Amino acid sequence: MDKPLSSAIGEIKIVNEVRLNVRQWALALGFILLVVLLTPRFWKGVERFDTGPDYRIPYDLSKDYWLYQRRMEDKVDPHSIVMLGDSVIWGEYVLPDGTWSHFLNEQTGQVAKFVNGGVNGLFPLALEGLVDYYGRSLRNRKVILHFNLLWLSSPKADLRVDKEENFNHTRLVPQFFPRIPCYKADANTRLGILWERKVDFCAWVNHLQDAYFGQKSILNWTLEDDGGDPPRYPNSYKNPLAQITFRVPGAPRDDPQRGSKSPRHKPWSASGAATQFEWVDLDGSLQWGAFRRVLQTLRERGDDVFVILGPFNEHMVAEESRAPYRKLRDGITAWLKENKLPHLAPGTLPSQLYADASHPLTEGYALLARQLLESKDFQRWLLQR
Amino acid sequence: MLFHTWPFLVFMLIVLPVFYSLRHTRWWIPWLMAASYFFYGWWNPYYLLLVFYSTVLDFFLVALMDQCPSEGKKVDDAVLKRAFLASTAAAVVILAVACLGPPTLRPSMVGLALIFLLMAWGAFKGNRRIWLLISLVNNLALLLFFKYGHFAVENLNALFVWLHAAWKLPEPSTLMPFGFPYVLPVGISFFTFQSLSYTIDFYFGNVERERNFLRFATFVCFFPQLMAGPIERARQLLPQLREFPPIRLQNFTDGLSLFLVGLFKKLAVANYLAFYVERVYDNPKAFGAPALMLATFAFAWQIFFDFSGYTDMARGVARLLGFNLILNFNNPYLATGLGDFWTRWHISLSTWFRDYVYIPLGGNQRGVFNTYRNLLFTFLLSGLWHGAAWTFLIWGALHALGVMATRELERSTFYRDQVPRLLKQLGVFAFVCFAWVFFRAESLDDARLIVRRIFTAVWSDPQIPALMLGLVALIWLYQFMYESKYRGILQAGFVRVGLAVFMVLYLFLFSAGGGAFIYFQF
Repeated sequence: MDKPLSSAIGEIKIVNEVRLNVRQWALALGFILLVVLLTPRFWKGVERFDTGPDYRIPYDLSKDYWLYQRRMEDKVDPHSIVMLGDSVIWGEYVLPDGTWSHFLNEQTGQVAKFVNGGVNGLFPLALEGLVDYYGRSLRNRKVILHFNLLWLSSPKADLRVDKEENFNHTRLVPQFFPRIPCYKADANTRLGILWERKVDFCAWVNHLQDAYFGQKSILNWTLEDDGGDPPRYPNSYKNPLAQITFRVPGAPRDDPQRGSKSPRHKPWSASGAATQFEWVDLDGSLQWGAFRRVLQTLRERGDDVFVILGPFNEHMVAEESRAPYRKLRDGITAWLKENKLPHLAPGTLPSQLYADASHPLTEGYALLARQLLESKDFQRWLLQR
Repeated sequence: MLFHTWPFLVFMLIVLPVFYSLRHTRWWIPWLMAASYFFYGWWNPYYLLLVFYSTVLDFFLVALMDQCPSEGKKVDDAVLKRAFLASTAAAVVILAVACLGPPTLRPSMVGLALIFLLMAWGAFKGNRRIWLLISLVNNLALLLFFKYGHFAVENLNALFVWLHAAWKLPEPSTLMPFGFPYVLPVGISFFTFQSLSYTIDFYFGNVERERNFLRFATFVCFFPQLMAGPIERARQLLPQLREFPPIRLQNFTDGLSLFLVGLFKKLAVANYLAFYVERVYDNPKAFGAPALMLATFAFAWQIFFDFSGYTDMARGVARLLGFNLILNFNNPYLATGLGDFWTRWHISLSTWFRDYVYIPLGGNQRGVFNTYRNLLFTFLLSGLWHGAAWTFLIWGALHALGVMATRELERSTFYRDQVPRLLKQLGVFAFVCFAWVFFRAESLDDARLIVRRIFTAVWSDPQIPALMLGLVALIWLYQFMYESKYRGILQAGFVRVGLAVFMVLYLFLFSAGGGAFIYFQF
């Protein structure tokens, strides 16, 4: 009755010769392992990465975490002070010579004592991922950690709304715990991100894509269109390998989007009005929870941390939402005091020195640097160790 | 859950060790079945009801068939009496539910009651042919309703309008019970065909009755091949499920080799080609003849790499578990004739149609006219199997006409011995590509437009990535070498290792992102 075919449990028919035996698989896996482990290290030796004073990770490479890691490991003097935070530290509206770290260096007469370690759009939940997975070299050193109250200004900014939201740095946020309600990536994406964090080679591949292929996979780059009508495909016949110049691209020399000559570099009041903020409560805040965990991680690594809170643009806060804002700020300050963390909550800057709710203009940074250097707590912290 | 995703890796990391740890117990089959149901339910738990229903019905139909007279067997009256009473009672209860229950349940309950009434009739008559008929009606009804319901209703309603008749058939979605969505269950064409092959084979005495329900359920929903085949025959897979497969290191090395090749085909090649094909086929008016030709050429390879990549992964996963799934693709673009092509492309489906449609119709045994009629019917059915659209029907018809037109030529000594092999291969490939236009185009109008523009449009820069062309050329060259006297080069250890390393690193560096498999929609 039963007529099992010849292939039933026996030899399987394969119509190619990519059929490896145990020894060949061992050899192949060994070779792959070598390439995966050694390439990122070897790459650091062959790819030119110019940093220098006032260097900050270029805007286009904000998501190149491998480069961030490389910079922190190899390009930052262990005795310097790293300033960590979002675009307030990075300097959203200003040129590299208009940032907070630049003015701190300038006012202390140093060249690169204060390092701009800010990343555009790096909210605390993402900062946590950056420090945990790509900032492992941040240990036993002085770190200035900035907290931007903007991330508590609404349930949406706190990422606690249920509706799906698109936000930056999804590769850095916690993928499963704590749960971020508005982050709706599927299980495949989340598990892929966990894999990338563990395998340096994957982060290096992302570096190649970010640095040389316009944040696209290499295959997608060959299909890129020029946006015209009808579109042209300029990369169709190009050799992708020729794109790799072995030199990390720097920020544009005269960035038209930033600096005092840029049309964006103007006081917020020119285009904005007082706003109602829906401040979230501190206890249930995802962002504040993440910030506290970052502090804990850094302290466990032996880092000496100084926290800067704000200064938020209070001029922009509508009268009705000022009281909850102050309560929130005072709550954070009280927690920092309670945990014996040196900190400063600089006073609100003059209105014309803000570009928006949280970003100062160039003069604002200069003033903030002065305020910080005049702070007794900061001076004491600087002199420690 | 797609094979090339992380959740599948996690799934396998749980399924595989537990499966092997259960080898000395009788729990390995329940475990395999549970894993298969979980795998299928991951898409949509509602689909599980369909698979389970189809499985239960075919299992009992064959059990009842086994009680009916065939050579050397006697009717077991007691069993058939019980089956008659049970089926009649079930039909009455279901009809009562249809009458008294919510209106949304009526269509499905009436359909179910009809099946039970047929079963009662079969038990009353003690006729195994009726059981086979019920299995055919049930499986094909499921397929027709979900896959062709909308197409049939749309076309029939258009016909009624044309005839000025006052009839209008309801949309199939309005017939769904409990407000379930009317969506095509993934893999329905595969598991219904697989289950059907069991009842047909049993009817013709080609396979033994499977008495263990869990084993039969595992055969129907075996997760590596549940979604897109290969469509396994009961006589091939069921015997493998009777005993725990032998544990051999080669299972793992072969499984990994197959899986790697499949992964490479899907992620590195098929998904990459898809970008160019979509760009051109989504807006054919905007492209000149070279782009349309190259996009068709690219689609031919895309669908091959997509589907054969899936099959390789399915066979690799099954092999890791110790099972052997049949070969589904045998380098089809090296075929030297259209008949040869169909022995190399989607082998499990073409042999299914050969064994259950073409041969029962008479095959090539009843004269030239009947042979050609049978070929045409089988190919049209094969086209329709792929989807409810005129484009698929035309694709099937083109292949039927092609096979009919070249059948005698391919048998001639001149074609076999005088025509250069490469010329034959290129000729077959060109014809297959032409037919793919109808398979891939969004509509019949688009297909016509593409064919017209291929011959009449201006010659402009196709802007196809050189890397894409190079990749396909290299793989084609590999296949040519595989079927040539130079095959020995590919068998060298360093070439095998080198290719495996290349594929893994290529996947790391160049991956084009994941998409669902094309054949999931069938």
